[in-house]
Amino acid sequence: MSEPDVLFCLHFLGGSARSWERLARALDGVPFCVPVDLPGFGDAAGTTGYSVAAMADHVAARIRTRAPARFGLVGHSMGAKVALALARRSEDGEPGLTGLTDLILISGSPPSPEPIPDERRAKMLAWIDADPETRRREARAFVTANVGQPLDAADEDRAVDDVLRAAPAAWTAWLKSGGREDWGRWIGVLRTPALILAGSADADLGEDAQAALMAPHLAHHRRVTVAGVGHLLPLERPAILAERLRAHFGDRPGQADPDAPAVPPAYAALIDSERVNSRLREALGARAAPDDPAYRPTALDPVELAILRAAMGRVVPVPNLDLAARLDRRLASGEGDGWRFSALPPDADAYRAALRTLDAAARAAHGRPFVILGGNDQDTLLTLCERAELTVPDMLGGRLDADRMRFWFEDLRADAVRLWLGHPAALARIGFSGIGAGGDRDGEIADGLPGFRAVGLDSPEAWEPRAAYEGTAR
Amino acid sequence: MNLEGMRAYREDESVDAVVVGTGAGGAPLIARLAAAGLKVVALEAGPNFTPERFAFDETLADEIYWTMERLSGGSTPEAFGANNSGTGVGGSTLHWGAFVPRADARDLRLHTESGMGVDWPLAYEDLRPFYERVERFLGVSGAQAYPWDAARRYPLPPVPRNGPAQIMAQACEARGIRWADAPAAVVSQDFQSEDGPRRNACINCGFCHQGCRNGAKASMDVTYLPFAVSRGAEIRAEAFVHGLERGADGRITGVVYRQDGQDRRQRCGTVFLCAGAVETPRLLLHLGLANSSGQVGRNYMGHVATQVWGTFPNAVRMNRGYPSSLITEDFIRPGADFAGGYLIQSLGVVPLTFGNAAARGRGLWGKPLLDYLDRYNHIAGIGINGETLPCDANVLTLSDELDARGMRKAHVSFGYSTNENRLNAHATAVMRGLWEEAGAEDIWVLERVAHTIGTCRMGRDGSSAVVDPQGRSFDIDNLWICDGSTFPSSLAANPALTIMALSLRSAEAFLAEGH
Repeated sequence: MSEPDVLFCLHFLGGSARSWERLARALDGVPFCVPVDLPGFGDAAGTTGYSVAAMADHVAARIRTRAPARFGLVGHSMGAKVALALARRSEDGEPGLTGLTDLILISGSPPSPEPIPDERRAKMLAWIDADPETRRREARAFVTANVGQPLDAADEDRAVDDVLRAAPAAWTAWLKSGGREDWGRWIGVLRTPALILAGSADADLGEDAQAALMAPHLAHHRRVTVAGVGHLLPLERPAILAERLRAHFGDRPGQADPDAPAVPPAYAALIDSERVNSRLREALGARAAPDDPAYRPTALDPVELAILRAAMGRVVPVPNLDLAARLDRRLASGEGDGWRFSALPPDADAYRAALRTLDAAARAAHGRPFVILGGNDQDTLLTLCERAELTVPDMLGGRLDADRMRFWFEDLRADAVRLWLGHPAALARIGFSGIGAGGDRDGEIADGLPGFRAVGLDSPEAWEPRAAYEGTAR
Repeated sequence: MNLEGMRAYREDESVDAVVVGTGAGGAPLIARLAAAGLKVVALEAGPNFTPERFAFDETLADEIYWTMERLSGGSTPEAFGANNSGTGVGGSTLHWGAFVPRADARDLRLHTESGMGVDWPLAYEDLRPFYERVERFLGVSGAQAYPWDAARRYPLPPVPRNGPAQIMAQACEARGIRWADAPAAVVSQDFQSEDGPRRNACINCGFCHQGCRNGAKASMDVTYLPFAVSRGAEIRAEAFVHGLERGADGRITGVVYRQDGQDRRQRCGTVFLCAGAVETPRLLLHLGLANSSGQVGRNYMGHVATQVWGTFPNAVRMNRGYPSSLITEDFIRPGADFAGGYLIQSLGVVPLTFGNAAARGRGLWGKPLLDYLDRYNHIAGIGINGETLPCDANVLTLSDELDARGMRKAHVSFGYSTNENRLNAHATAVMRGLWEEAGAEDIWVLERVAHTIGTCRMGRDGSSAVVDPQGRSFDIDNLWICDGSTFPSSLAANPALTIMALSLRSAEAFLAEGH
């Protein structure tokens, strides 16, 4: 695949279409950049409609006007959230929006509420309506606080001018509501190939936030952190951005077919043999099918699913098997196992609360989200769960106490092992022969099933599989 | 099961008996009452399966477990669902282990013997004829000379000893412990059910708990229920009972159940609640009936069912064969610092059950879990079924949480007391010793609670019991309870055989009144 025909570029809070001029020059028309002024900003300062949905409608109209066959969406910070909403509409087949080939998300504001400290938000709200002198001073402070290295004077002046051009109502609306809107479940998980960019010096939307809050919504993504850059990559390093875009178009993530744990040929042959009944063969086949990388969770939200995937990866470390998605599907079905610890809320609620607590524990202990911790650090936190020693205060995001986290972790282990051992690759690995005890027979009561003739010690029948660790030789 | 040609009763016709539940408590009496010419309608909450569904897989067997959620609390929270609660025509016998020791006579008068627990309001000799009838009817296989009861003869020869059973037998020999081939309600030879299907001899597939494909295991749907249908009983599946209608005199006049999303009513002369020790008290508490004693829901019991697992150099392949094919009753009275005792059985389990034990009970996860699962074909277990004394703190109540039907969920609070803890410690040491004797490595202990017992105890006095020794409610004379909920104490024996014996006994008592 090559470049899209057009890139629609959506700016950050306080930016404008002008924020993309240097990127457009660097790309030199391949692809062609169409920067858009979002409502309340740049030349659209007089336009209203500041919600994410209204901004997306505004951009959708521009896309329809140009009617490109293949287009990409580049969203920067605030613009990223708008781009994600449009991508969902595109993937859902909205007329006029099909043809989306790429999502480029730069220091993006995630689908869920933006993780910005209340104090910083309050400060930004305070000066936007102030006297001109304060506004100019604070606008400059805003720009300089958001870059890794100072911009050159002309660029900085233009950026400050853009902030001052913005309708204060639009600025306020984003901080008070747009950035706080929760689009997580609605956006779900997108299939569009995505490039997630972060600046190493970004305060709130750096690589950790991108890994924890943005990446879970993108089934096929690559995350790149640009060293020395703050929150304003298109202004700070347009040439690097252009380079990253070209690299992305040349090698989009997620182009290969999804993998699944391999069922060894000998075990596959047993499954296909007349020793195994049709209902079981069909079920094993379904369990062996690769998981959809864009599985859209319903019991959990995508961010929680990502935490569950990370935890599952420690509990049952087998590659290419999305036990978390399989568990979400079960939780969503409402089909429980007939009981739960009375100390825990209903299963889906317990999982959500526990996963958020686990993540909060990671942030409290390491200052980083659970999903990005190394395996040893993740194991340490899970071990605390096991010992009923994981305590996270409410104010830090703890939702379940240590005893409940212990119960939950027991449930997680049981759910994980149950899902794993249903997989034919697992049954093959342990050398389980039970599936071969009976095949299809007519009639309510089966006649002539093979079963096992010898059942004592050290008397395997010739057809019985052996565990992988014992080797396949007989 | 095949319900073709089954007799059908009109709902506005007052039948002689409505039986709620078709498991071990309901099925024998449905059969007996129908055989006596009574008009009997059985209402089963679950679906009607046929063995063609049973597919040699644990996940696919989820449909035969009662998965309406229960809340489990107390210091030893018990698992429900696949652990002990079934659904479907045949009830929990679809998934039961079919391990059928009789109660030990001493367990029925435990209080007289030890000053602890309670005595049953009946003696072993009251039960023995019914045990024999049930064993004959089901085709129980077992030792031809039972070491702990010289008079006992099982109708069929034992099923083969599998790997865990061979290991346990050798270890018992070495330690001077008597052992026997286990009494199993699994036919070791082809067997013709009376007015039911011809059941094939056990093929040793090891999937007893997932539903038996060839009729070898005596679930009610291949034994008492076909007999009952042949004698004119009607079984209505997917009929969830949630109401009992009463006349001005307080007696039951009809049963209200939900089927296909509609409430329906069956008029009846008598109702038998046979829904098990959770759903029976739940219904009574929901309706506020038959509880002048305040005993409904009280004295909930699960058996102490601790297991010991070990890894052997041999290819054990514990999934093969009848899972619990060896028993010792040498510890029914170990004469230690606790009342009552326990039996020990050999254990083989299928992978998910094993994995669940390793992950929940042993607490394994990560690479250690995968490494341990890899040893599956070399692992064998033994486990006990041990006496649990009735206890005030162990109680079933209704939680404030509603199920999909708007009924409050059951909350079960259960925990061991001193007697259970002492028994458990004794048994664990014995089992460890046996597995060490057998040469096991990597021995570990799985704490586990089994079965659902108590909550509507039988007794001689209506101020302290829910039903009389025959199973009849003290408060409402045409309401009977026949299931594990009437047990005054747990007994060491697994409960199903005794439930069936009591079911026949209740039926005879009911018929003796001239119904």
